[in-house]
Amino acid sequence: MATLPRTRPRNRRLVWRNTVAGWSFILPNFIGFAVLTLLPVAVLFYVAFTSWNVFGVAEWTGTANFQRMWGDASFWTALRNTVYYTAFHIPLTLAAALGLALLLNRKLRGVRFFRTVAFFPYVTSIVAIAIVWNQLFSPEYGPINALLRAVGVDDPPGWTTSSTWSMPAVIIVGTWRYMGYYMLLFLAGLQTIPAQLYEAAQTDGASAWQRFVHVTIPGLRHTTFFVTVLLTIESFKVFDLILLMTGGGPGQSTLVLSQYIYQKGFEENQFGYASAVSIVLFAICFGITVIQFMVNKRGNS
Amino acid sequence: MKRAIPAVISAAAALTLVLAGCGGGDEPVDPNAPVTITLAGWSLASTPEFKTLADGFKATHPNVTVELKEYAPGNDYDTQMITDLAAGTAPDVYVMKNLRNFYTYQSGGQLLDVSDVTSGLGSVPALASYQVDGKAYAVPYRQDSWVLFYNKDLFAKAKVTPPDGSWTWDDYTDATKRLHTGLKGVGSKATGAYQHTFQSTVQGFALAQTPGADLLSGDFGYLKPYYERSLDLQAAGAQPTFGTAKTNKLTYQAQFGKQQAALLPMGTWYVATLLNQQKSGDADKFPWGIAPAPQFDKSTTGTSATPVTFGDPTGLGINPKISKSKTAAAKAFLQYAAGPDAGKALAGIGITPAQVTDAVTATLFGLDGVPQDELSKFAYTKHTIKPENPVSKHTAGLQNLLNETHSTILSNSKGVDAALAEAQTRAKNEVLNQ
Repeated sequence: MATLPRTRPRNRRLVWRNTVAGWSFILPNFIGFAVLTLLPVAVLFYVAFTSWNVFGVAEWTGTANFQRMWGDASFWTALRNTVYYTAFHIPLTLAAALGLALLLNRKLRGVRFFRTVAFFPYVTSIVAIAIVWNQLFSPEYGPINALLRAVGVDDPPGWTTSSTWSMPAVIIVGTWRYMGYYMLLFLAGLQTIPAQLYEAAQTDGASAWQRFVHVTIPGLRHTTFFVTVLLTIESFKVFDLILLMTGGGPGQSTLVLSQYIYQKGFEENQFGYASAVSIVLFAICFGITVIQFMVNKRGNS
Repeated sequence: MKRAIPAVISAAAALTLVLAGCGGGDEPVDPNAPVTITLAGWSLASTPEFKTLADGFKATHPNVTVELKEYAPGNDYDTQMITDLAAGTAPDVYVMKNLRNFYTYQSGGQLLDVSDVTSGLGSVPALASYQVDGKAYAVPYRQDSWVLFYNKDLFAKAKVTPPDGSWTWDDYTDATKRLHTGLKGVGSKATGAYQHTFQSTVQGFALAQTPGADLLSGDFGYLKPYYERSLDLQAAGAQPTFGTAKTNKLTYQAQFGKQQAALLPMGTWYVATLLNQQKSGDADKFPWGIAPAPQFDKSTTGTSATPVTFGDPTGLGINPKISKSKTAAAKAFLQYAAGPDAGKALAGIGITPAQVTDAVTATLFGLDGVPQDELSKFAYTKHTIKPENPVSKHTAGLQNLLNETHSTILSNSKGVDAALAEAQTRAKNEVLNQ
């Protein structure tokens, strides 16, 4: 009992010292994050309820921006297109990345070379990708349609110049660009599955398909979850690829939410409305990620 | 001694008052004191007009130095300028590339009233575009207009009569098709015309020339015949399709400069570019000419009539945050830039100034490589220029929407009627109700 008053101050000093040390470690990064990300995000939540047009004072307009969004056909078009992109981009990239990872997880001659090749699109400049793919997709002179004509397709699609085919074209390029990156994550995941499990399964007479379904898939569960979360967020905020490839066109056929935000904000200076749309995009990403975490948690238990 | 103290105090007080008076700014600024004003420009290395203006002004106002501040080219210019104005770090004098964003700047309180400058300018045609409630907020220093560039060699090769100033758009469509057939017949790969992907190439002419057309009315029926002719030319193969131009990132400079197309509707700014590229070898050397833009109907064709075309003026405005001691110098600079002396200096580098006088025409047509025929001179000097962007709160929104309509129609994603009907609905529900 008598020692208690003496240890308390020392304890407090220790806690204080640890706190200071902790803060000093994260401070350099945190200052940058706070100034460049946290503060603007906080301001965004305020601006979304105003009619701010970049100059002058932001006038409080309550939920007017959200009411406007409800009746704004272009917003719904952008949302529909974003969901369209996401719905195809996630499964396709997931499958392509997993397929590549399985293929390149073997002891092949030159496997490192092929892994590098698969990763290449991810480190290539997005501007170069957009320009080259656009030329490949060129309806009249592009090699893709030349190939399609050669194999007997009489009326090949117009790709980025047709409102029906522009979204598939963008999805193809998006998948091609990102599959290398997620392949790398899957490769890392595959390395963690103990070889004994495969040996045991083989001894039990399991076929290659059975081994894939009962050993590989469960073994990759955490990686798959991680990849899905990343892919979802990445798909919902897709911007640069579409802006460079189609500019949202033809018409509004590839207009996605982030581009709509850009258009309203930086082209038409309606920063209040653009912020409101950003909040909706944020809410969608946040909501879906929470659901994914909940599903994953249930799977764990 | 005792009496000296109050005397010292009152002397000090008097001195303080005098000194304070100096800083008060009520005193007239010495017009010959050295002043530096800053001016925004873009791509300074390849865009000599800003330096031409700065140097020309220095010649008559030796005490004023105009310092250039470089901004991003293209659409990024406005984004960057708006940011800097909002942050209070923009230059004293800045350029408005076209009228699309003039409303944003003016209604945002980012332009100083310069009515006293414009009252001394006389009749510069584009002045009216910058007036709001009887006050002027900027002055024009350039006024480009859209004309028709044509390649005389390709016309001769295809055995088609070159333009003579009498063309309507139907004549243009017809000639383009005949060029296409003629050029194909002699084994040339060049197309009849090249229509660049800009929405202006269709919508600018339609808005300027169609009687009663009004962008802000939200009724876009006036665009229909113009789009039908473009689609007709695309389908006939007489000009590269919109899709090809987009996916292959065709440039009008290469299409016309490398003789891939015989006709090119384009703004007069291309004169300077073409001259430079022919000199540097980026463009072939061939005889070319300019003709008036094809017209809506026969009432404005022929060299005795005045053809109607479009083009936004390029203007200069003053940042209201400019310090008081520099305002007079900045206003004098605006007066110079919109006046006849700057006009001649700009014409000397191939640029069309705000006011085309005989001296300007003589200077421009005296440049090496500029066509010397009468029709080119007529096309350059005589026309009614209507603004592409009427000044309004809704302009940017409507133009963005119509840009989407432009790609919908020219990519054949929707029929002209359906696409225009959709544009009208969207204009009503998404832009004009704001």
